[in-house]
Amino acid sequence: MFMNETKIPMQSLKTLIITMVSAVLLAFFVLIAIVGPAEYAIDPTGLGKALGLTILAQPVEKNAKTVVACPAGNALQDWQDIVMITIPAASELEYKFYVDQQAEMAYAWASDGVQLYFDFHGEPAGNKTGYFKSYQEATSGEAEGVLTAPFTGTHGWYWKNTSSKPATVTLKTKGQYRVKGLI
Amino acid sequence: MYSIKKLSFNSLILLVLTCLLMSVAFAHGVDAHTKQFLLANQGVAIGPFLYIGAKHMVTGYDHLLFLLGVIFFLFRTRDIVRYVSLFTLGHSLTLFLGVLGDVAVNAYLIDAIIGLSVVYKGFDNLGGFQRLFGFQPNTQAAVLIFGLFHGLGLATKLQDFSLPAQDLWKNLLAFNVGVELGQIFALLFILLALNIWRRFDSYYGFAVITNTLLMSGGLILFGYQMAGFIMVV
Repeated sequence: MFMNETKIPMQSLKTLIITMVSAVLLAFFVLIAIVGPAEYAIDPTGLGKALGLTILAQPVEKNAKTVVACPAGNALQDWQDIVMITIPAASELEYKFYVDQQAEMAYAWASDGVQLYFDFHGEPAGNKTGYFKSYQEATSGEAEGVLTAPFTGTHGWYWKNTSSKPATVTLKTKGQYRVKGLI
Repeated sequence: MYSIKKLSFNSLILLVLTCLLMSVAFAHGVDAHTKQFLLANQGVAIGPFLYIGAKHMVTGYDHLLFLLGVIFFLFRTRDIVRYVSLFTLGHSLTLFLGVLGDVAVNAYLIDAIIGLSVVYKGFDNLGGFQRLFGFQPNTQAAVLIFGLFHGLGLATKLQDFSLPAQDLWKNLLAFNVGVELGQIFALLFILLALNIWRRFDSYYGFAVITNTLLMSGGLILFGYQMAGFIMVV
């Protein structure tokens, strides 16, 4: 015989059944409504989204705005710079260049399949009013062309990723500019 | 009498809230700073491993919930020491064997079993085994056996980092001692709270609610880990 030094009060069958059912129901509710959305983005009730929990389930590295420059060399081919810009799910960013008036910058960018809303625009240097001039505004997975800067200032793209997965834009550029980078 | 009941009810709410906050604040793996250290570390680092072990235990709600269940109906210091020692023996054994023997077990499955150990203890504290099945499993054997699983859980957390083989046992020992220090530290607080609570008549009344919450908490851990197992593996 083992020594039973724990004097555990035995609950009635009714109490026991009530406790078991409540434990299961509570656990089920917390898993479905809170843990599932926050940890795994499983959200059948929609409550997790309402509470803003689903954002936690995004993997950390995919949730960051990052720019990775391609190494110089053969990969560049005809281009001066190639960068891979990661736009997290449901988020936005800008990537800009300094270009002087009448200088030219050729560009081509493509996303990895995700359709992005973008506004290709420029702001005159020194302007504090928030004025900007749009060159192209659309929703697309790619665009290319040559920009002849109408004024000296910063020129580049605003991208908005409304999808639920991160998008990676590969942006190739060449011409007379300096990289300003991520904003 | 009313005020006493109210007081203890408030402390219960506080306890539950604290548990919830803890589970929100700490995803119970290894945090980013610790990860960085473990990946970069070469050689013996007694201090850091002591600390990581202690922190793992103090912030480890799965281990703490099980311990809470184990000592819930232990009133004599002698009994508490005996049960906690059995738990310590169990998890130290598998921590060492697991890491040194490079035993590969799935962390999600182990953590799911650890969740079930919490469910078991809550059920046991309600007298569920005697009432439903007419027998009482040996509580000392159970705490030892579940201790073994908790130790495997500790081992999997360290194994993620392919620690350098040289002098591994020294780091491991430091981690283990840290775990025990953290366990004693956490136990002091749990016992303090329980001992205050035990002065009130409400203790036995709320025992039902507390152990129901314990079962529920264990089920949540189980579901959380099983979902992880299904989605990742």
